[in-house]
Amino acid sequence: MTHTNGRRRVVVTGQGVVTPLGTGVEKFWAALKKGECGIRQVQSFPVEDLYITIAGEVPDFDPRERLKSKQLILADKYSQYAGCAAQEAVIMSKLEVPLKDSKAYRAACIIGSGVGGLTTLEFSYKMLFKENKRATHPLTLLKAIGSSASAHVSIEYSIKGPTFGVVSACSTATHAIGLTYRMIREGLVDLGLAGAAEASLNWGATRAWQAMRVLSPDGLWPFAKRRNGTVLAEGAGILMLEELEHAKARGAPILAEVMGYGMTADAADMVNPSIDGASTAMQMALDDASLAASDIDYVNAHGTATAVNDINETRAIKRVFGNAANKVSISSTKSMHGHCLGAGGGIEAVAVVKAIGEGFIPPTVGLDEPDPECDLDYTPNVGKSRGVSYAMSNSFAFGGLNAVLVFGPPPA
Amino acid sequence: MDDVASKIIEILRKNMKDPTKTVTLETPLSDLEIESLDLAVIVFDIEDTFGIEIPYNANEEVEAFATVGSVVDRVKGIIAETKASGAAA
Repeated sequence: MTHTNGRRRVVVTGQGVVTPLGTGVEKFWAALKKGECGIRQVQSFPVEDLYITIAGEVPDFDPRERLKSKQLILADKYSQYAGCAAQEAVIMSKLEVPLKDSKAYRAACIIGSGVGGLTTLEFSYKMLFKENKRATHPLTLLKAIGSSASAHVSIEYSIKGPTFGVVSACSTATHAIGLTYRMIREGLVDLGLAGAAEASLNWGATRAWQAMRVLSPDGLWPFAKRRNGTVLAEGAGILMLEELEHAKARGAPILAEVMGYGMTADAADMVNPSIDGASTAMQMALDDASLAASDIDYVNAHGTATAVNDINETRAIKRVFGNAANKVSISSTKSMHGHCLGAGGGIEAVAVVKAIGEGFIPPTVGLDEPDPECDLDYTPNVGKSRGVSYAMSNSFAFGGLNAVLVFGPPPA
Repeated sequence: MDDVASKIIEILRKNMKDPTKTVTLETPLSDLEIESLDLAVIVFDIEDTFGIEIPYNANEEVEAFATVGSVVDRVKGIIAETKASGAAA
């Protein structure tokens, strides 16, 4: 194909998720297709003195059941989610692990998190400041650091190449996937696990979010007139990315191709997004993929259901897509899995790869009456069959940090 | 100007780009160049100063926050409600 200009091509050979809709890609995808919602009353911490009492908590995660390694069983929940999603991606990819000899150095493990082991820190500070304990648990530091998920996963599979976490709030996973894609394309490595994990639902973090006044007490309804904020969630989304010839040579399943990646910063405001930053990132991803906006069949929107994001994103899509904005199918799957923060882009990338594989657009649920300023096709309430060749995944984080991925079908 | 009003104006001034500007009860908040995040900080500061909780969601237009005077009235209302429920309990 001419659009590759002879450069190395990067494909997805495995994927894994932990989400409020369930653990495992098939369970997650079945729930998305049905339009189920994983946002419920909080179970894992007391909410009596909070006015935000809902969240997207992972309902079916017992670390002893899901994980084999003792190190991971003792790790923070965010690392456990990463370990579980990575395991699913590795098994799906049929990669022989642990990696051996020089192959180990040709693999990357870029797994980020918005805030790492925040719940471990909250627990430790409670012990120190409230219960006057003399010391914290000896594993506190290793559990809390934002690079522990990537380190744990590299140890699991003997990945000895570039291994670290990236941090960009709600764009973290998308940046991790984009970065790994570029590393493979430029020849630094031949494959890599990429994505993010988040498990920061706790009392203190909810207090902090409450103080920002951006959460909804009732539900996450992207693009709807009644939307009144986002809903916090947790989970992990991880892809196995691989150079095309490398994947073919070992007979790996090829689920999709990573076609393009764009990233920008608004350099303007910590919370108010700009159309320029978002639209330029989208255009960069299209240019990188050598595609026109009209080639895109599906956009998995950032769609947080805050007043400002959904209007800004709609305007950015219109700027980039022009007339094609009225033909593209858009949805915010956050309406079902909640805002998984750093992990969001990874979970949403999995939704995009499944949309391409199955020719199905997952819906935006709770979209009864659209905001008049949000007037595109957001696939309201019910998903639909539609051939998806190329799809885009948007992540626009606090601080104005934007990352956009474009995926395409497995190369013929 | 009473104590509640002067304390609130003091809090607003801390969050203004130009604290030397004249602020009266009639001044619209939009004149103070206060943005959404500033408003969250101001609400936090008011809650802390008066020991109250102010229901406020940045995603919704809040009429009670139109002018400095309307903020003062809202805060006084909440202080009265908090005292009443405290007395009842």
